[in-house]
Amino acid sequence: MEGKVKEQKRHQQKHSGPKAERKKLKKQGGTTDEDERKRNPKAFAVQSAVRMAKTFHRAQDIKTKKHHIPLVDRTPLEPPPVVIVVVGPPKVGKTTLIRCLIKNFTRQKLGDICGPVTIVSGKRRRLTFMECNNDINTMIDLAKVADLVLMLIDASFGFEMETFEFLNICQVHGFPRIMGVLTHLDSFKNNKTLRKTKKNLKHRFWTEVYQGAKLFYLSGMVYGEYQTQEVKNLGRFISVMKFRPLVWQTSHPYALVDRMEDLTDPESIRTDPKCDRTVSLYGYLRGTYLKNKCQVHIPGVGDFQVADVNFLPDPCSLPDAQKKRALNEKERLLYAPMAGVGGVVYDRDAVYIDLPANHVNQQQEEVRPTTELVQSLIDTHATLDAKMAASKVSLFSGSATLDPTGIDEQSREEESLQEKHVWDPNTQRNRRKVVFAEEEEDDVSSTTDDEYGDSEQEEDEDKDNLSEFLKEARAKSEKSAKNVTYTPPVKRQKLEKRKEEGEEMLAFADSEDDLEMSEEEESKEEGEAARARDSGHCSEEDEEESDDEESENESVEEEDDADDTVKKQTESEEEEEQGALQWKDGLQQKASEAFLRQQEAAPNLRKLIYGSVVEASDSEDEDKELGGLFRVSRPHNSTKFQANALDCSRFNPDTFHDWDLEEMLNSIRDCFVTGKWEEGQDAATLLKEDEELYGDFEDLETGEIHKGPTEQQDPAEQQNDEDDEKEEAEESQMKVDDDEDQKNKRLEKKRRLKERFDAEYDDGDATYFDDLKEEMQKQAELNRTEFEDVDDETRVQYEGFRPGMYIRVEISSLPCEFVTNFDPHYPIILGGLASAEGNVGYLQMRLKKHRWHGRILKTRDPLILSLGWRRFQTIPLYHIEDHNGRHRLLKYTPQHMHCGASIWGPVTPQGTGFLAVQSLAGTKANFRIAATGVVLDLDKSVTVMKKLKLIGYPYKIFKNTCFVKGMFNTLLEVAKFEGASVRTVSGVRGQIKKALSTPLGAYRATFEDRLLMSDIVFLRSWYPVSVPQLYNPVTSLLLPVGQKDNWEGMRTLGQLKHDLGIRNNPNTDSLYKPLVRGQRRFNPLHIPKELQKALPFKSKPKQQQPKGKIPRDLQRPSVIREPHERKVAALLHALSTVHNHKRKKAHMVQHAKHKEFLQQKEKQEEAKLKRQKEARKKLYRVMGQMDQKKQRSSLKGSSQEN
Amino acid sequence: IHGLTYDGCNFFRQRLVLSTLSGKRVKISNIRSKEDNPGLRDFEASFIRLLDKVTNGSRIEINQTGSVLFYQPGLLQGGSVEHDCNTQRSIGYYLEALLMLAPFMKTSLKATLRGVTNDPIDPTVDVLKSTALPLMKKFGIDGEGFDLKVVKRGMAPGGGGEVVFTCPVRRTIRPVQLMDPGKIKRIRGVAYSVRVSPQMANRIVESARGVLNQFIPDIYIYTDHMKGANSGKSPGFGLTLVAETLNGFFLSAEMSSTPQGQGDPMLPEDLGRNCAKLLLEEVHRGGCVDSSNQSLALLLMTLGQQDVSKVLLGPLSPYTIEFLRHIRDFFQIMFKVEVRKPLEDERKGGDKVLMTCVGVGYSNINKSLK
Repeated sequence: MEGKVKEQKRHQQKHSGPKAERKKLKKQGGTTDEDERKRNPKAFAVQSAVRMAKTFHRAQDIKTKKHHIPLVDRTPLEPPPVVIVVVGPPKVGKTTLIRCLIKNFTRQKLGDICGPVTIVSGKRRRLTFMECNNDINTMIDLAKVADLVLMLIDASFGFEMETFEFLNICQVHGFPRIMGVLTHLDSFKNNKTLRKTKKNLKHRFWTEVYQGAKLFYLSGMVYGEYQTQEVKNLGRFISVMKFRPLVWQTSHPYALVDRMEDLTDPESIRTDPKCDRTVSLYGYLRGTYLKNKCQVHIPGVGDFQVADVNFLPDPCSLPDAQKKRALNEKERLLYAPMAGVGGVVYDRDAVYIDLPANHVNQQQEEVRPTTELVQSLIDTHATLDAKMAASKVSLFSGSATLDPTGIDEQSREEESLQEKHVWDPNTQRNRRKVVFAEEEEDDVSSTTDDEYGDSEQEEDEDKDNLSEFLKEARAKSEKSAKNVTYTPPVKRQKLEKRKEEGEEMLAFADSEDDLEMSEEEESKEEGEAARARDSGHCSEEDEEESDDEESENESVEEEDDADDTVKKQTESEEEEEQGALQWKDGLQQKASEAFLRQQEAAPNLRKLIYGSVVEASDSEDEDKELGGLFRVSRPHNSTKFQANALDCSRFNPDTFHDWDLEEMLNSIRDCFVTGKWEEGQDAATLLKEDEELYGDFEDLETGEIHKGPTEQQDPAEQQNDEDDEKEEAEESQMKVDDDEDQKNKRLEKKRRLKERFDAEYDDGDATYFDDLKEEMQKQAELNRTEFEDVDDETRVQYEGFRPGMYIRVEISSLPCEFVTNFDPHYPIILGGLASAEGNVGYLQMRLKKHRWHGRILKTRDPLILSLGWRRFQTIPLYHIEDHNGRHRLLKYTPQHMHCGASIWGPVTPQGTGFLAVQSLAGTKANFRIAATGVVLDLDKSVTVMKKLKLIGYPYKIFKNTCFVKGMFNTLLEVAKFEGASVRTVSGVRGQIKKALSTPLGAYRATFEDRLLMSDIVFLRSWYPVSVPQLYNPVTSLLLPVGQKDNWEGMRTLGQLKHDLGIRNNPNTDSLYKPLVRGQRRFNPLHIPKELQKALPFKSKPKQQQPKGKIPRDLQRPSVIREPHERKVAALLHALSTVHNHKRKKAHMVQHAKHKEFLQQKEKQEEAKLKRQKEARKKLYRVMGQMDQKKQRSSLKGSSQEN
Repeated sequence: IHGLTYDGCNFFRQRLVLSTLSGKRVKISNIRSKEDNPGLRDFEASFIRLLDKVTNGSRIEINQTGSVLFYQPGLLQGGSVEHDCNTQRSIGYYLEALLMLAPFMKTSLKATLRGVTNDPIDPTVDVLKSTALPLMKKFGIDGEGFDLKVVKRGMAPGGGGEVVFTCPVRRTIRPVQLMDPGKIKRIRGVAYSVRVSPQMANRIVESARGVLNQFIPDIYIYTDHMKGANSGKSPGFGLTLVAETLNGFFLSAEMSSTPQGQGDPMLPEDLGRNCAKLLLEEVHRGGCVDSSNQSLALLLMTLGQQDVSKVLLGPLSPYTIEFLRHIRDFFQIMFKVEVRKPLEDERKGGDKVLMTCVGVGYSNINKSLK
């Protein structure tokens, strides 16, 4: 081969033909696109305006649908750990899953898991795992703080009621991300039934959560753990997941407490074991800024004022920002003080050291109890004796029993619409299986149909990107990381041998949900990260020994260093201190004070306003001093203010400037537009800028063309461009520096063009939405940068404690049961309350009975509500709004409709969702969530009205006036209702006029008609109902260990009666009796004589008396004929009969004849009409033709016709 | 449990207003307890009555002598309210508090206040109309129902004036960044006179223009002479001046004649000149908000969403300083206070103060959802 690279075939420039012509045309200018339009304008013309409008509308619709209301992004730079709540019925594998996930992320084994466990899962993400037990209290509390819910389902059993209850709880309190995990899949022996069950469960899960919700399958157990690969996949999903901000969570500060210390003076506990305790609670702050001295609610305990808050160094901090992809072993921290893992934790008043176990290489099972013992000893450090004496502290915190539900429940199968109780001998509990109608059908048919056989395979086929990457990553890691044993730091991480799995089956759960991430790049990145993480392990294996020691000492050393420096400082400055400092060894406080002293050195407006920060910390003194003495902002202008001085906002300083002096006047000259402007805003500079921007213009008057400097270059550049092309064509050799020059010029031109385009494009397309988004972004930027460079101690004062900080909250006067009955399996949540949320008032809400709850709810039956952070029992009144806006009381909630509910409860912002349960204890009810709803309105008074009918009876009736008694009892009552309208049952309306003196409560009323004595008069009225003021917070956390799910509050009336065996005597009026109806008699209608006279005969009452006997004198004597006469009469009669018959016959004949004649005549008439019609038709036709002719001729012209 | 206690009657309105907004109860003791005539004055009682009218369910307890007041706030109701303000203080005294409460009511407020519209002690209704309302508009409190109308003018001590204040309801307040006041582009004003010669107003205008014309030519001072039923019960005159900047901020100054029978009468020329000088003083102090509205601006910043708000103020008035302390007590909000010294060659008056805070994320819990 030669030194030179073989020259490639040159490009053959066309000199003739259509291609060359087109190119030539292009060079001359005028694009082909325009040509096209010119050549074939019809193709580009608007064919249909309607269609065009439609397409435009549709495009706009689609565009607008994508918009969400833009919100200011308030996520902190270092976010708190993601709360992952693992939910499921007992014995479904929750603890195992958490253990596996922890092992997956940190390579550590955690024995007993109680309380939250925080781990570092990646460079920017930490996770807090929390297990949720089967108690509905816990479910409610954890649903409010969860970011992600892992919902475990025992596939061998199917869905249980708890799962659905939890889903509904989630729906009400904002929907966190939910991921289903199917376990116990190995119990299926038949592959087909396994597939079918998976499919059924998946579809049901989808209908509950959303179509395509993620459902993971954990296929089987290996040595009591889930398969590593499956756990790894699950872990990867968790670590890339994005979370939606939930309204309640983002507007309230909260913390999931992961450590609790009792600070009460041991002496006071000794003297009074039941005294109120001072307790410090620790946890990551989440949600939003927490202010010192604010109100918090601890669900299950109550409302408390925070005595003090401070932030501590992060016990489970994210790794330092370094350019590397994976975490090393040292950075994979695990923090779970309640489970006995925590390392060194230092605090304001004490240092807690988790003593390292000396025997590192021992089996995990042996190590665990020791550390736990030590930890629990440490936990109860100061007051061990007292505590032991006072109560039964569970030294081994894992000894709490789970769900000791009664064994007396027989293994009955309660058939109901939705639920089937199944007795599980393993867990010793009654499992509440959910039965669906379709499912049962399926069960029947499952043996026969196998159409779904290949559905699983299909699902496997559409694996997403992640799986590809996982494969790659795993392959790489397998190659390199063989036979690696890790000996991680002794103190923080417990030894764990990594098992090599030769045959790691890649078992992907089907993933319709495409991996929460929208961009492909991210997943790519993640895949790479995973790869790198694996390689990170290998590189470490040489240094394992040294690592051990280092990490052992490092953290301690660091603390020591910090301690030392601060101490030195404080000691040296001790002399200058004015205020006596009480802290014994609070490092944070000392540091802050040191900082303060520095601050004090400079004259500071802030100090003038707020006093020094030390003062601020004890506000009681501050409050008392408020009316006292202080200085004004301006140092030269110190004034004394009396507590009782004039309350006026005017600012009249004592010293006025003398505004007659010229120099004073000059001092404010620039405040006016007439004054001097700043450099950038000066008119002259602005003009110049304008000139630069819009350089060339044509003076229309003179015709002179002014050119800007930029434009002058353009032709030259055009020249250059042309040159470029020529050169290309000629392929002449150019010098290197020339090339560079050209390139720069081109780049410059490109940049300018792009700028112009950007300006034009952005301006042209900027919508209201874009502006809003930009504004929000600016605000977010400002929020982030404003306090960035302020140190934390000061920043906390301005902002409050920001989410992501590890805080220590001190609360005094907690009930002693909180400490004595402490069970780490139950979550302790610190829920911050906004300023007005500590108050109690009337709440109006919209409520709907849950469709799965069996019975409708009764007004005034106590109900347990979960609203905001709180769970409380209250007495609701149900009502519905009439069309005139009146709230009418309902006795029961409607079956399938929303209704209003008014309660007395804690003030909670409108729009907050709530759910109601009837009782918390036990699982007797079918579906425990009784109702759900939303808060509509807060008020200090309610306007629920009850319909009230007052009944009275007339006792004296005049014409239209009537005296009514029995409706009221006193004169005063009547007086109140004077003028009110009344009505009778028959519908006669009337009005109350005036009270009568006797009998009491009787009144005179007038009606539109006369009443009957049998009428009943009633008055329809509305009576305001008062809402019972019961607000009873559920204190389930204060109950003894093991009974925490047995909280019972106020009983309903029905329950009370049932318990006490009281039966109501029914109202005898309400009983059904045989109906006896008497004969109703009506009086005859009486019409006055005068009226009768005036009536027409038709309407006159007829004399319908039967005829009386005719008197004898009027009776005519009967005639008796002679025989001859009789004969004559008989003959005459016969003759007349014959004659009559003849006549009749003749008449009949005549009639028939006449009929015939008429018919004939009719026919003739018809024929005549027809003829006439024809004739007329003919005539008209002729006339029409003539008319037409005439018209035609007149059009042609009259001359011809004429 | 979460109550606050204070001493003395000073800053009475601040405490009650903040208590109402935050829902924290407050107890004020030792109200003029050492004076010959201890206890609450009539105007304070009138203020409490007004507060009672706009709220629902508040509990107010006053002891026998009136030297201890306990206030448990209810919810802000709003609606149509009529109130006869006590003539010891002007309507401005009541209106200042109402301005702070009005955006957070259940229904939009329509308040008719009767009494003294203009007196030398409190900010007059004219000044509040021309400065406080545009300021509130910056915070997103806007709409057609946002107005302050002076129906009748009543001078101290007799009163007899009437104003109608209407304000729409807001659920949240916008965070603001009011950092650059801009230059003053025009000066407007009202010279009013009632029950005196209409010539007085012209004399005031003349003298005020004389001072201000040195700076800017765009000055227009309206003369407002009310007659008959609209002129109230006492004679008097006065001037309010408002300087508007390019960025839409307003600085104001005002002066009223001494009330009839209290102190020496004042010449209209003197009044005009002094008022103009007061305006110059206000311009010297500078900032985006004038000195009497500082507390309103700070309150609205506090009640904003959980974002950073900034505002540039002139030197803080003692009233404002106390207000800041009260805000810390009621809302646990501290402001970052930075002094902005003017540059060497700048002629823009004295030191400015940049106030920064993160809002509490207050949402109007009174407004009903339907």
